[in-house]
Amino acid sequence: MKLRMPELPPATLLATLDSYNLLPAIVFLPTRRRCDQAASEAAMVRRDSGDQKREQRRDLMRSFVEQFPEIRGHRHWDTIIRGGVASHHAGHIPAWKLVIENLMSAGLLDAIFATATVAAGVDFPARSVVLTVADSRTGQGWRPLTASELQQMTGRAGRRGRDNVGFVVVAPGLHQDPERIADLLKAPPDPLVSQFRATYTTLLNLLDAYGNFAQVRAIAEKSFAHREAAVHISTLEKNAREMEQNIQTKLRDAGCDLRLSTIKGFERLLSARTQLQQSKPQTRSEVLHRWLDEVVQVGRVVGIGRTGRRLVLITDKREGNVRGIREDGRSASFALERIGRVYAPVYRLKEEFIEEAFEEIRRRGRELVIPEPRLRDARSEDVGAIEIFDSAIEKILPSALAAEEKLRCNQALWSVLADADELHKTERRIDQLREEVWEPFHQRVRVLASFGYLEFEAEKVTERGRWLADLHIDRPLLVGEALESGLFNSIDFQRMGAVVAALTADEDRDYGELELDDGVVNALAMFEEIGFKVSTEEWKFNIEPAPELNFSAAGAAYSWAGGMEWTTLVHETRAEEGDLFRMLSRTGEALLQIAGVRKVHPRAAQTAAVAADAILREPVR
Amino acid sequence: MARSGKGRTGGRGRERTTLGKGSRRASGDTLSPTVRPAQKPSPQTRELRKLLEGIGTPRPSPFQPDQFQLDALAALEFEDVLVTAPTGSGKTWIAREEIRRLLAAGKRAWYTTPLKALTNSKFQEFSAEFGDGQVGILTGDRKENSSAPLIVGTTEIYRNQLFDSLRGGSDVQTDLVVLDEAHYLADEDRGYVWEEAIILTPPRIRLLLLSATIGNAQEFAAWIEDVRGVRCGVVTRPGARPVPLRAAMLLPDKRLIPLLGENGKINSELNALAERDRAQREERVSRFGRRARRRFYE
Repeated sequence: MKLRMPELPPATLLATLDSYNLLPAIVFLPTRRRCDQAASEAAMVRRDSGDQKREQRRDLMRSFVEQFPEIRGHRHWDTIIRGGVASHHAGHIPAWKLVIENLMSAGLLDAIFATATVAAGVDFPARSVVLTVADSRTGQGWRPLTASELQQMTGRAGRRGRDNVGFVVVAPGLHQDPERIADLLKAPPDPLVSQFRATYTTLLNLLDAYGNFAQVRAIAEKSFAHREAAVHISTLEKNAREMEQNIQTKLRDAGCDLRLSTIKGFERLLSARTQLQQSKPQTRSEVLHRWLDEVVQVGRVVGIGRTGRRLVLITDKREGNVRGIREDGRSASFALERIGRVYAPVYRLKEEFIEEAFEEIRRRGRELVIPEPRLRDARSEDVGAIEIFDSAIEKILPSALAAEEKLRCNQALWSVLADADELHKTERRIDQLREEVWEPFHQRVRVLASFGYLEFEAEKVTERGRWLADLHIDRPLLVGEALESGLFNSIDFQRMGAVVAALTADEDRDYGELELDDGVVNALAMFEEIGFKVSTEEWKFNIEPAPELNFSAAGAAYSWAGGMEWTTLVHETRAEEGDLFRMLSRTGEALLQIAGVRKVHPRAAQTAAVAADAILREPVR
Repeated sequence: MARSGKGRTGGRGRERTTLGKGSRRASGDTLSPTVRPAQKPSPQTRELRKLLEGIGTPRPSPFQPDQFQLDALAALEFEDVLVTAPTGSGKTWIAREEIRRLLAAGKRAWYTTPLKALTNSKFQEFSAEFGDGQVGILTGDRKENSSAPLIVGTTEIYRNQLFDSLRGGSDVQTDLVVLDEAHYLADEDRGYVWEEAIILTPPRIRLLLLSATIGNAQEFAAWIEDVRGVRCGVVTRPGARPVPLRAAMLLPDKRLIPLLGENGKINSELNALAERDRAQREERVSRFGRRARRRFYE
């Protein structure tokens, strides 16, 4: 149900909510910008309505300034103090968000304009939550809200101990859909869906701990993602055990003491043989044609027609047609199919021998005729390969068995064949299911092996791999290779900060275009080069390409590590404080990780430690 | 719209009764002394009065733990526990009481959260509760008092400690691990870390998982039980919400109406509005053509 309604101006919206006693409220808006605008607009209108809480807000905020000087002079300071409203989203620094959360729980704010990201995590409720759209904005555009998202939002309606009832208010909007919201409110909560995946770090740590792939694999198979498959596998395994029991019972009843492996071997030989036979003649005429083609040779005598009384000595044969000499000396030409009998002796095609040949066939024909193949024989006995299978199948039974026992066991073997076939299929399905979860790990095993971080045959982590396992960082392999190449030994702390920021920042976020000096550009180029080498190897093993480096983050981090003021950084990058904060804080953490490999790469570790200090300074902590 | 409702008829019916119950409870006698009539709107329709009935602040009452909180604590004595309840309904209380009990007995606990901000605020909260010396914090860039009996930290750091102990380091020194916001397991980027933490936590360590309401709590718990070989109970807050929720629709003329009608379906007034909205659009199309419409709306 699309319902396009003009949006109420923020101040009007709040006044209306107030008229129904629905404040304080959290108003959800789709973008950060809209939140900031709405807060400012509402504050404009509300600033003159003498509010006795104004002083209390001022006091609380001042008390925070002592602890978090970075909030002093925040551009929304007045909005909050005079308007009693605030905006709250990921574009703000944590200290500022903390102030707003505290104001809210102290009951000093009438409304917060927030994006859906606020819904997760920190607890700050209100009497009402207001929805202006039924969609959610993502990096890729708009998509409908999910039940869980809506639940997170409405979870903030109604303060425990302070509200008897909480409200979710669907407000007018240009893309409003009250029916969808109503449906989502009634929908059961979304199920938890596993996001399990293979990473280099996990692989190296587990392999180093267990020393073999089998146990690493066993851990991977425990994942929630694999659970469905695991449930399936355990059912299949149970079935397989039952089939085995069944087979063994049948054999025991037949008084035949054969091992399960013998039965499996028998079944596999037979099924392989069947495979071979698929390509073999299946109808009588096919069988006959093949046989004739094989046995009808120049120099042999054949009988024509079903009775085969008219004899012909073959003189020529090509492409299903034969020529020959009849008993009366005349020549004859006919199709292969017309031949009814073939006699074994091969005669020389000399005038003087021809009469003798016919003479011999007339005399001893019965014993000289080559027996025609029967269809059954053709299927079970033909070319050499099948004979090999046959003899293997023959040898399956222990040779020590007495003839009588052998016969009995042979019959027993055939009687369990169908069960053994089913067992074999079940086991193959189990293997397939198990392969699915291991495959991505296996790909990474190969990549790590080719860079020398583990030994594939020996199933062990190398010295290199051991320190890489400790490097808890995005794209550890790239950083490991950068360390090994010596790149991080040759650059100063500011440049290292820039390179690491380019790696850890969100791929497509813009942190302004601060100038990069040649040293940084060179370092980034070399880093990219190493990244290309890594990606190429990963590509070989079907691993998706990693995100690209973010050069704009490098510029911001370079300036910040170089001592730029926070306000200047915010001003010059035009990035949002919250984004800068997060990017720098993650960069600092990554640098601390690199600082931890001081035993193997002391120089790079030292530089990283200095860079981390330079980046993790107030207000980034 | 018929399509969207179809697939989940079952859940719909179940949830409807929950919503209904909530409003009935709120309008009950116990709350009436605190009812404050809405200030301005007049004349109030019966529908509106019913929608807003009971709005306001309850009389302060001494804290009484809910039954589900007590159930969870009792279950923790002998099994892992998965608690599912919405934010703000008192999941942390369970963890805090269990930690209090353990600390008093000279035991240790690890409290993990998905966010640094949350870690910091829990660190403050627990330090105030149990005393500064009793609590340590470990995040990617903060390491304080790391040998304290109670450690608060990000799930990643806890998982890394598990790796270290598997690789021959010392055992993870704790008797209880609390995974706060355990539904982060479904986070696209970081969820796998939660799975690894659950799989690799030694069975001797008790697990307490605090999660938002999820659709497959039983399946989730059964999985935990399978991979750890320890029983895992599920404790769900009955009635889902600590404070009942009512849904309202605010119209452009500033009228407030219930989002749902008496029959639990969308308020019929909204159907009429949507119909009028559609008709107007149609008319505009017929008058100005399709292209004009596109300019109007897109």
